[in-house]
Amino acid sequence: MTKWSDMQVKLACVVCCSLAISGCATYSAKSADMRSSLLSGQFAMARDLAEKQQADKDVLAALNQGMLRRMTGDYVASNQVFEQAKRRIDELYGVSVTDQLGALTINDTLRDYQGDRYEQVLLHAYMAMNYIQLGELDAARVEMLQADVKMREWGDAPEEDAFVRYLSGIIYEILGENDQALVAYRKAYEIYKSSSNRLGLATPQIVKQDLLRLLATEQLWDEYRRLKTEFGMADFKPVKTAGGYGEVIVVLNNGLAPQRQENAITTFSHEVSQLVRIALPAYRYRPAQLTRARINVDGRQQPLETVENVDALARHALNDDIALITTRAIARAVIKYKTQREMQDNHGGLAGLLMTVTNLATERADTRSWTTLPQEIQLTRLLLPEGQHQVNIEMVNTAGRVVDRMQQTVTIKSGQRTLLSEHWVAPAPVISAKSK
Amino acid sequence: MTFSMYSNFFRLLTLVVIGNALVGCQPSVTRVDSAAVTDLSGNWNDTDSRLVAQEMVQDVLSRNWLPSFSNKQGKAPTVIVGSVRNLSHEHINTRTFIADIERELINSGEVDFVASSKERQEIRSERMDQDLNATEATRKAMGQETGADFMLQGSINTIIDAIDGEQARFYQVDLNLIDLSSNRKVWVGQKKIKKTIEKGGLRW
Repeated sequence: MTKWSDMQVKLACVVCCSLAISGCATYSAKSADMRSSLLSGQFAMARDLAEKQQADKDVLAALNQGMLRRMTGDYVASNQVFEQAKRRIDELYGVSVTDQLGALTINDTLRDYQGDRYEQVLLHAYMAMNYIQLGELDAARVEMLQADVKMREWGDAPEEDAFVRYLSGIIYEILGENDQALVAYRKAYEIYKSSSNRLGLATPQIVKQDLLRLLATEQLWDEYRRLKTEFGMADFKPVKTAGGYGEVIVVLNNGLAPQRQENAITTFSHEVSQLVRIALPAYRYRPAQLTRARINVDGRQQPLETVENVDALARHALNDDIALITTRAIARAVIKYKTQREMQDNHGGLAGLLMTVTNLATERADTRSWTTLPQEIQLTRLLLPEGQHQVNIEMVNTAGRVVDRMQQTVTIKSGQRTLLSEHWVAPAPVISAKSK
Repeated sequence: MTFSMYSNFFRLLTLVVIGNALVGCQPSVTRVDSAAVTDLSGNWNDTDSRLVAQEMVQDVLSRNWLPSFSNKQGKAPTVIVGSVRNLSHEHINTRTFIADIERELINSGEVDFVASSKERQEIRSERMDQDLNATEATRKAMGQETGADFMLQGSINTIIDAIDGEQARFYQVDLNLIDLSSNRKVWVGQKKIKKTIEKGGLRW
């Protein structure tokens, strides 16, 4: 055994540092406790677990805390931490030199998490819904405008989010600004129509109905007739409400967004003529949704429609990024291989082994994503007479039996629209697979 | 790449990591004059609020509605502050410049203000409490409030133009004085502010 030279001691320090920084677990493994509490319906416990993290510099911790505070009904605190996340995302604009350095030598988790585009835009949507629950409609309107500026800044249409446009339309309608609402609904329809692949769903019926209804209210008959034939809804009649009726809009956040898992693959690199091992993030197969949601008010039942498929957005976002992630991973693997070869050649077997161990231990995939988002966002609207009503949101399985029910009391005022929101997480099947 | 370049790489990396950790150790606080301009992120800040208040006060005291009212009625006009709607894309606190405008106008002696609808809830409940608990001599009678002659309402609007890391923001603050008996708008004040913000594409 050779005596350790000055250089080897220094290198050992770097090795320890890097192990400490990146940790030896992926984000999915670290957040497994929080996710399992959510899957067993224990929102309060999941919130306590999330609150243990520092939210001021970590966007993901802030997003999770915000969502969990919202799930436990604390809307003011939720918006506070969401605002922190928003500010931090703004600060992370641009390319960071240290992040890229870390990504090329150790692993991708050294880069600060900025959030995918769909996550950044849904942040605004959830802040807006928080403000609506608090009765601050002007503040919700501000959030929608911020989301609009963000989407416009990105420039290209494929990055637009149809649900956020639709939500803006709802907020404008609640505030009585029908012309703005019409623009928002039109945009929502355009995005649903053109990006049905990326969004993972067809245009929801409710969006078509709202667009036609608003066109009829604003008396834009040409467009109304044209869209009526395009939608194939020849027997649609805009409901003329007499006084004494108000609308309730029910938003259900169903399930949890998918979690990325780690996939280790070995590939051949021509640069070093060797097989190198890289770890890439991937999504597992999604189990089919076996329960459908409907609302039950005063004996009337109406199904809820999916207006946003976050699961599809997440998978699509990973698909877009995977080429770049793979290239970076291969470059990193080449650099790591070269360092371990040099260590072995110049400093003996022990140093080479230490280097190899470091390289293997730090090669983890970046599995970070906002997993407390729902799997899908479902919505429906209903006209109800004035007064107090008990709104039941029922989850129905394929046999038609109600497996879960959430109740909320809502006071309807004539001519006004009320938004009601709920979170529901289906209990996970008890097949335990070791997730890396 | 030779090994020495790699070792330098790792040295640099260690330094970078340690440096990053050390930088956030001691916060530094500097006191500045409250009128100093500190534009940090480009969002609406105290300088904007001050500019709006200055312009509005100067405008409202120099227009014809004031002498025209005092000559006809023989007293200073009474104003109540209504809602100033935030129709912009930022969460702006409108109370800062409204409070500045109120203060300047009251101190000038030419305009009277009465408590707004939110403020007077507390006053009315205090008066009701006095009805029950205070002595006959010090009790304030109900129904003695001064009715306002004008209401101050307004809105803040923004127009944003953005591409990549550059943004041009335009704020327009509109305030109206509306005659409460006839609904006539006797004064309209406007302040426009424009900013351009550039976000650097590279950071440490």
